[in-house]
Amino acid sequence: MKAGIMRIASLVIALFVLAGGPFVSSASAAGKVALVLDVGGRGDLSFNDMGFKGSDEAQAKLGVEVVEIQSNSAADYLPNMQNAARSGQFDLIVAVGFLLADAMAEVADQFPDQKFAIIDVTWLGKPNLMEIGYEENKGSAIVGALSSMVAAHYGYDKIGVVLGIEIPVLYKFEAGYRYGMHWGNAKYAEKTGKKSNVGLLWTYTGTFSDIAKGKAATEAMLAQGAGIIYNVAGPLGIGDLEAITEHLEAKNKSAGPPFMIGVDANQDYLGDGHRVLASMMKRVDFGVYSAIESVVNGTFKGGVQILGPHNGGIAMSGKQDLADFIQFGVSGGAISASDSGQITSNWDAMRKDIPQWIWDAVAELQSEISSGAADVPCGWCPDTIGDIRAKYPD
Amino acid sequence: MFASKSLKKQIEPIVESLLAGLVGLLIGALIMLAFGHNPLAAYRSLLLGSVGSVYSVAESLAVATPLILTALTFAVAMRGGLFNIGAEGQVYMGSLAAVSVGLLHLPAPFNLIVALLAAMIAGIVWSLPVALLKLGRGVHEVISTIMFNWIAHFFAFYLIANVLTDPKRGDRTINIIESARLTRILPTATLNTGLFISLLTVAIILFLLWRTSTGFEIRAAGYNPHASHHAGINIRKQVLRVFLIGGAVAGLAGAIQVMGRPPYYAVMSGMPQLVNLGFDGIGVAMIGRNHPIGIVFAALFFGGLMVGGRIMQFDPGVPFELVRVIEGVIILALAVPELRRQFSRLKGRWGRKE
Repeated sequence: MKAGIMRIASLVIALFVLAGGPFVSSASAAGKVALVLDVGGRGDLSFNDMGFKGSDEAQAKLGVEVVEIQSNSAADYLPNMQNAARSGQFDLIVAVGFLLADAMAEVADQFPDQKFAIIDVTWLGKPNLMEIGYEENKGSAIVGALSSMVAAHYGYDKIGVVLGIEIPVLYKFEAGYRYGMHWGNAKYAEKTGKKSNVGLLWTYTGTFSDIAKGKAATEAMLAQGAGIIYNVAGPLGIGDLEAITEHLEAKNKSAGPPFMIGVDANQDYLGDGHRVLASMMKRVDFGVYSAIESVVNGTFKGGVQILGPHNGGIAMSGKQDLADFIQFGVSGGAISASDSGQITSNWDAMRKDIPQWIWDAVAELQSEISSGAADVPCGWCPDTIGDIRAKYPD
Repeated sequence: MFASKSLKKQIEPIVESLLAGLVGLLIGALIMLAFGHNPLAAYRSLLLGSVGSVYSVAESLAVATPLILTALTFAVAMRGGLFNIGAEGQVYMGSLAAVSVGLLHLPAPFNLIVALLAAMIAGIVWSLPVALLKLGRGVHEVISTIMFNWIAHFFAFYLIANVLTDPKRGDRTINIIESARLTRILPTATLNTGLFISLLTVAIILFLLWRTSTGFEIRAAGYNPHASHHAGINIRKQVLRVFLIGGAVAGLAGAIQVMGRPPYYAVMSGMPQLVNLGFDGIGVAMIGRNHPIGIVFAALFFGGLMVGGRIMQFDPGVPFELVRVIEGVIILALAVPELRRQFSRLKGRWGRKE
């Protein structure tokens, strides 16, 4: 027995020595980046996976080495960032998500010579920290206009939005969506000569994780005649889409309307490609990539960077994004590669069924927003959402 | 002759644990080799990352702090012959009770002590129904504690989202008020004076179990409930005691985690800083042979493993998922001797019945 253990031990030691050879750490010329995540980690097909997508692209295109640092517990956020900074081996430490804000505030002060970047946080104000915020209100306005015009086109008089926890950042989505709906109603009347009175149904579900609540909220909205449901609660979209799918199945249909509008990532490939009309893409990948790129180019500086429709940080999903995100869905395990052809042709059919003038109108709003001509309400501050609700009513 | 025999008896478990740990490390190394990572480099950063500097030792201690308490909850029950896995839910309740003390607007000096007491009471309140169900209806504690863990889980979600919510940020509860926060021991590390609360609790439990008649009764009931009953020990009373002590200690664990670990001082939505503290405590208790002193060392080891594991991620670049697998293998290997002992005890008991 004892001899057996000794034999195994010596075998293992021999293996170590033999295998030790190939493990030479490869220093990368372009630099080394740490990507720090919250407890969500990989596999959400949304926010975090978009962060990984950005770092994967930086790895491929810029040749930097990226080290992912995931967290076991919220108690790990601060030590994880401290350890990364202390090691001194990273040219940039990127924190993905506003949950990491408090830890970042502390660690950025402790290590003034280390470059940091954080996504979705714009209020820390440190010289060595690039803060990347998004104009979700503007993207929501674009999909809001699309929603109201498409709903009116298919004879619906309601659109819905299912939101998560009532926090200031979600007010931005709500405010923009309201603005877009009113813009779309006016445009519909202008183009068709028919009055359009599409109204808004909105629910804060109080959760970013309870998928059943997304389904219940969507079912209630569909029962009240909603033609479009905008998902603003991450994974709750799975529940939203399930409700839409069942609603259609009851009528022996597979394709919408009613449709869902996806959020953060491009979610158009879900629902066989013809139940998600479009997605309000918040390009977290773009933010992560541009932060890394700025370090590689030597243009990094602290302060707030705003990503919006004017620089592609916020965009409505198009044909080109579909192929890209079908791949994203396949690698995330949401769909199988063999379905991609069907999804693409379904998606094409869905979009072609909607008159070209609607797409042109959406493009028009998009350029108005980018040029600053359209004044989309911010709604970041909780004290203005009441005024916005009054100005752009349900 | 006798001296050497008792010495052997004391050293034996330590040698056993060391051997088990070695086996765990070897299996972990084989797994890393299989996935193409250099185990020597990985274990080097595990070691340096956990005890290589004052900061890393402090971090290991910080992780150990709440685990000492949740392990005590399990160990006290184990000594009393009960399998209490309810620490998880009691941790949630304790932390939220500590947070809610902020709503009372007490004079500053009282906040800290009231928060700790409130957490202990919350833990007890969450533990009491389990004891009553066992005494009144014979419901096995494993079933009822699992159920109460889930009830606590969703009840806590409700409280975080609807009652104790920070009005400015819906993703978390209100903050623990400044005067109720535990002091950081080093300026950067997350270690705080909660460690002393944990160690004090260890001393109290140690004294209680081996130096008082209460402790003797608990342990006797655990060794052999039938003999203890005939010797005049009230077994039902021991069940109640075990659960109440366990609840108080687990509630305390939740409180010091949220009152002590920077930078949040609030319970986040989804409780990412609390989830699994109770279950990890079971592993710690197993490695520590359900003895308070053993638990302190086991929790330190566990903390070191977790803190060093963070470094394994970015120095040799072992992916997080694999780090967790290796941590799990090492912990499992270390728990094997105690698991074997408990199983053979159970087997002995069943054997006698036949």
